[in-house]
This record gives sequence, structure tokens and C-alpha cells, in this order.
Amino acid sequence: MGYQGGWIQRLLRSGSEHGGTLLGLAIAAGLFSLPALAFGADVAPAAPTEYRDIPYVGSRNVIWVVAQLHLLLAGFVLGVPMFAWVCEVVAWRGGEKRYDKLAKEFTKLLTSAYATTALFGAILLFLLIAFYPKLMNYLTDIFFPSFILYCLLFLIETATLYLYWYGWDAMATGKKKTFHIFLGFMLNFFAFFIMIVPNSWATFQASPVVIAEGTDMARAWAATWNPTWWPVNIHRIIANVVLGGYICGAYAGIRYLSAKTQEERDHYDWMGYVGNFIGVFGLLSLPFAGYWLMREIYQYNQQMGITLMGGFLSWLFILQAMLIGVLFLGSNYYFWLGITYRIPGSALKYRKPMLAMLTVLLLCLAVWMTPHSLVASLEEAAKMGGSHHPLLGVLGVMSAKMTVSNLMILVTFMSFIMYWRAGKQDTAGWAKIAKAIMGAVLVLAGIGVIILGVWGYFVPAIIRINYFSTSQVLIVIGVMLTITPLTALLLKSAKTTTEMVWGKMPPRAGYSLVLNAIMVILLMTLMGYARSSSRVHWHVYGVVRDTSQYAFSPALGYASGIMALCTFFFCMIVAFIFWVATMGDKAKAPSAVSKDALPHGMPAMAGASSALDAPKAPKF
Amino acid sequence: MSEVARLQLICLSVVGCGILILLFIKSVFPRVIGFVAIVLGLFMLTALAVPQMRSLPPVEEKFDIATVKTPTDLASIGQKIFFSKGQCALCHTIGPSESARCPDLKGIGAKLTREFLYESLTQPQAYIYQDYRHEGLPKMYPAEMPAINKNPIGLSRNEILSVIAFLQQMSGEPISINPSELEVPGQAPAAPVKAAQSSPMAVAQAH
Repeated sequence: MGYQGGWIQRLLRSGSEHGGTLLGLAIAAGLFSLPALAFGADVAPAAPTEYRDIPYVGSRNVIWVVAQLHLLLAGFVLGVPMFAWVCEVVAWRGGEKRYDKLAKEFTKLLTSAYATTALFGAILLFLLIAFYPKLMNYLTDIFFPSFILYCLLFLIETATLYLYWYGWDAMATGKKKTFHIFLGFMLNFFAFFIMIVPNSWATFQASPVVIAEGTDMARAWAATWNPTWWPVNIHRIIANVVLGGYICGAYAGIRYLSAKTQEERDHYDWMGYVGNFIGVFGLLSLPFAGYWLMREIYQYNQQMGITLMGGFLSWLFILQAMLIGVLFLGSNYYFWLGITYRIPGSALKYRKPMLAMLTVLLLCLAVWMTPHSLVASLEEAAKMGGSHHPLLGVLGVMSAKMTVSNLMILVTFMSFIMYWRAGKQDTAGWAKIAKAIMGAVLVLAGIGVIILGVWGYFVPAIIRINYFSTSQVLIVIGVMLTITPLTALLLKSAKTTTEMVWGKMPPRAGYSLVLNAIMVILLMTLMGYARSSSRVHWHVYGVVRDTSQYAFSPALGYASGIMALCTFFFCMIVAFIFWVATMGDKAKAPSAVSKDALPHGMPAMAGASSALDAPKAPKF
Repeated sequence: MSEVARLQLICLSVVGCGILILLFIKSVFPRVIGFVAIVLGLFMLTALAVPQMRSLPPVEEKFDIATVKTPTDLASIGQKIFFSKGQCALCHTIGPSESARCPDLKGIGAKLTREFLYESLTQPQAYIYQDYRHEGLPKMYPAEMPAINKNPIGLSRNEILSVIAFLQQMSGEPISINPSELEVPGQAPAAPVKAAQSSPMAVAQAH
């Protein structure tokens, strides 16, 4: 300590000889290095350092926040290119320029968002090396070849992103556009690998495999191919789409609320619809991926599965149910608002189905949020006849929760179909038969899901997990694969009775889009905590023990504070990125939306009438 | 004031700030921030309403030779190593399991000699092990056995002997390792365990 202090003094003396600027720099550097001196004071010189701490805040909290922000930003920059590319393809194939404009608007965000993500990645890396040298040494020893691969992927991804963004206008038509679409595909292709490489590091920590001797490549490959790697890869890629979609929706919602002109309101109302649509599209398949991940965790290590679902983290899943439930309600509510305000006259027609759907969703949410065992005093437990309530205990088990989650997916899917069909009149001769088939499929699927759920109580867990729950998932997927093409075929020849009106949504629609985005971000932070805490007191489960003072997992209340903080910081960072990226546009033109790009009719994604998709002729 | 009460107070303040913003500020962006604050505050309040449980780490087991008086003591330490530092349970099971990636070790202490077990742990590639527990041709196991006395696991000789003692005990066999065979720190190491002169038959017996 004394030696370091002397070094600073010598530097300060040297600075005074060379002028004020150098002195200022030296003082600044000295101030920045003060925490390092505090770290150094705790380190015994002989033994290698295993951990370093940061006073007051705690190294674990700093890593937690930085890692979570990096992960959220990474989800955003990996989700947005998928979102943008799909919009660009829709514009390319369908000829609707507004989708191309939307894709470009979001790709513009990527350059600044990408840099911010990389910045947080670098901060995370430095902090990990500083705070957890022993663990980082262990992981580097195993994963060094994939570190190199990761760097190479970053270089390629950056080059592709530059080409994709800066070449947008230069490659706007003909074969050049085709090449641009190809570039967009490659951007997502490389982004996928950028996601799965670090996933292997994180999943290895949760589900390590024994590393035998061999070449560096063989060892890295063996560690990469761990049991939860692919379930997490699939889960995260879908979650990134959901995040990208809902953030687009939230951005549109805020812009809609602050829109000054009708044109802006039209544009951002439409953008909010597209964002919500893509978010819901991903959300419907996300529980299946989550189920697969949990199944693999149980297969890998039953104790870890029990820690998550039945141990100290079990209440976390009640919170997860609440967040997912609010997300489902918010997404459906936005669809119902769309039916009410965008399609005049439909509100009355669909009021009863909407009420029925709301009732089913609330009942399902109530079941999903039912805990298996209740916190009760001895007296209360004696009255209940045990720690499980005679009725609620039955609803708190996985069989009931799987059933209601599938029913909620079915209801949300039907909300979308209802929105899609609103304002249309079927003209096809086979419409009655098709509608009867769709109704029968839906009712049978609902009954099937409930029967399997009830039957699940009477069979061994392994049968329920391997066959019944899987069948429930397959039934719901089957419904989507049957009803979607049938509806699309029906609407191809349908007559539009009520023209879609954009920009008439009430302010609460904008807030519901913001709420959905907050729910998704909170869910990601919550499940990040779950994944990390499932390792309990291990850095690498069963292999490298956490011997620091932070080897414990904090309680949910404290953890929720960090989650809320991360969510708030992330929202502010994204808002800043949006603000910076759109600053130039505001300077260029007073109105952000040109007359030519105004929304017209229903978007192609909702299967609108082709007559209304054609741009309106300008009136003179 | 307890930590939960302090956090609840913070949450209520956050929610209150959000409500005040929504009531008195007309600009859209601050109002959205106020709305977000209310949502986050309510989320935290809900999280604070459920039982607050922390997961504390168990006390770390250390191999203390002074505590080993009988072969049973040794087997007891071996059991702890089997499920923790040795990482054996990452791949092996004791009893049949669908998720096992390596041979089931139930009864292994009765099937194999201690010398063969020691060699299997320290030179796992000395013989090619295959899975015969199904119809048709034998298959390789999905995971490869590492040398247990080398990094990253790096069990000491004493630790390996205690694991063998545990394997023998849980197979119902008398423990053939005497505590006097253990290396005392600071003393010359005992003679290495002699590897078994195993024949291919011994390999087949392992399965």
C-alpha cells in the first residue's frame, strides 16, 4: 500500500514538472485507481487471488447488474435484426414500402445498440477477470478455442452489419436488393453463432460435463456440448424475438402517445401493432422451449430441478406465472383494443367472446399462480390438514400449471385469429365447413388438454412429463398449424366490410405496449436470477465451488430490487439509443412520416384484404 | 427495521413517485417513466410478499486424516467426495437410471478388485469400456472417463482410496482399505496401489 502511494506521489511530482494537463490526467488516473488500492490491501502476496471485492456495493451485485444489462442489450441487438429482416422480406415479397421503412428504422438503431452491447461486454469481461480470477482462469483453460472463435465471429458480424446498414439505400432495387436480403440473412446467421458460443460458457457452468484429456479443441467442444446448451440456445433465440418485438411495440407506444399529427399517430399505431404481433408470435412458442429446458435440467440433475421447482426457488415460479400472466393479458388486451377502435362496429360483435376469453385467462392465471404449499402457522396447517391446502394444493402442481399455460396460449391464439377476421365477410363456398372444422378443432383441443391435465394426476411423474405434457404441447401446436392456414385461405377471398382505421387507439393502448415490454424485461431478469441461483454455491455446478462471501443466493425480495434496477437501467439505455438514433431525422424533416409511407388498410402480417393493401392514389 | 421492511418502504416510495408524476406532469416521457416506476414498484412489493428464503452454502467438507479411525470413517469421507469434489455423480449413478451417461456403479465394489478400481480411476483409458446393456452391438458411453488424479478434479491418493472404500461399502463388501495405508502429510508416500493384472475377462466383468 505504501509502495503504491509513493508511486502516485512520484507521478504527481513528475506531472507538476510537465504542466497542468498531465497533472490533471495523473490525478484523475490516481482517483480511478483508488478502489484498486483497496482491493490490493486485502490480497495476501503469496497465494494467488481467488476473489476481489468492491466496497459498499459488493462485487457480486456489480457483476449481476452489468451481466444482466449486457444480456438484455445482447437480446435486443440479436432480436432486432431478426425482426428487421422479416420486415424487409415482407416488403420485398409483398411490395409494401412501409415494412422496408420500418426495417430500416430499426436497423439504424443497431449500430449504436451494437456498440453499447459490446461496451457492456467489455466492462463485464474486465470485471470478471478482476473479481473472479480463479473462475475465469478455469473457464479460459477449457474454452480458450471458443474465445478465439467468438472474436472472429464478432469481426464478421460487424463487417456484415456495416454492409447491411450503409448499403441499404445503395442496394434498394433489383438484384442488389436480393443481395441485401442475403446480407440480412447472414447478419442473423452470424448473430446466432455469436449467441450460442457464450451460451456454451454459461450453460457449462450450470450443467458441466467431465472434461477428459485431449486437445484444446476437443476439450472445448466436449464442454460446449453440455446437456442444457441447445435448450438454452432455442429458448434464448425465441426470447430475443419476443424482446425485439415488444420493445418495438413500446417504442411505438411512446411515440404514439407523443405524436403531434394524425399521420404520426397512424404510423406509430401501425408500428405498435406490428411489434405486438411479433412479440405474441414468439411468446406463443416460448413456454414450449422453457418446458424443454426444464425437462433437460431435471434429466441432467434432479437435485438442480428440485432446487428450481420445489426448493427455495419455487416461489420464483409463482412470480414468473404472474409476469407471464400479465404479459398474456396485456397482449390480448391490445388485440381487443385493436378490434374495438380500429375496426368500427366490431366491438359489439366481439364483446361476449372477449369477456369469455378474459374470464378464461384470469382463471388460468389464478391456477398458474397457486402455490403448491402455503406459508401457514402450525395452527393453520393443522386446520388445513397439512402444509398443502386440500383444494389449492391440487391446483398447485405441474399437471394443473401445464394445462392452464396451454389453455392461455390457445386463448391468445384465438384472440389473434379474432382480430384477423374482424371486419371481414367470408365469400368462399366452403367457408361454413371450414369454420365448423376450426370450431371443432379448437373445442376438441381444449377438452384434450384438460383431460390430459386431469389424467396426469393419476400416472407416474415420468409418464406425465414424457408423454402427457408433450402431448398437450403437440395439441396446441396442432391447433395453430390447422387454424392459421385455414383462416388465411378463407380471408384470401373474404370481403372487407369495415375498413381498418389507424391512429384512433386510446392512450391506454400505448401504455399497454410499454407494460408488455416491461414484463418481458422483468421476466428475463427473473429467469437470469433463477438460472444463476440454481447453481447454488457453485460457480461451475459440482466442480468449482464458490468460496467467496457471496456464495449464498439472496432472497427474492432483495433480488427483485436488483431486477427492477436492471430493468430501469435497460429501459433508459434503450430510450437513449432511440433518442440518439432519431435525432438526425428530426433535424432533417419536421414530420417524421411522409405522405407516401402512410399505413393503408390492414398489414400483410394480419392477412388484410389485398384490395386495401394497395397504396391509395393521392388526391389532388 | 428489518431488510424486508426497508425494501418495502423503498418500493412504496417508488410507487408514490410514479403516481405523483402521473398526476402532476403532462409531458409524455416523464409520464411513461412514472408508469414504469409504478409497475416496477408493484413487482418488488409482490416479490417481498412471498416467503423470503436465502440459499446458504453448506459447510465445506475437508479430508482430515486425524478423524479417520476405522475403514467406515474412510468410506464416509469417500461418499462425500463421490458426490462433491470427485464429481463422480455427474455421470455415474448408483442404481439404474435413464439419464446416466456412464456405467451404473451399483455393486461395482463387489465386482472389481480395489487394484482394478484404482487403475480405472487413474488410467481410465487402459481398457476400452463399452456399453453392453442393450441389444445389438456395444456402444461407446456418451462421456469419457477422465483421469481422476489429474486436473481439474485432481483427487489425492488418500481421496481415491476413500472413494474405493465407499464403493466397496455400498456394494456390501468388507472394506479392504485400512486407514494405516493413508499418506500422512509430511511423511514419505506409501507404496502405490498395484494395478491388477487384468485380462479381457475383467473388462467384461465390469459390465
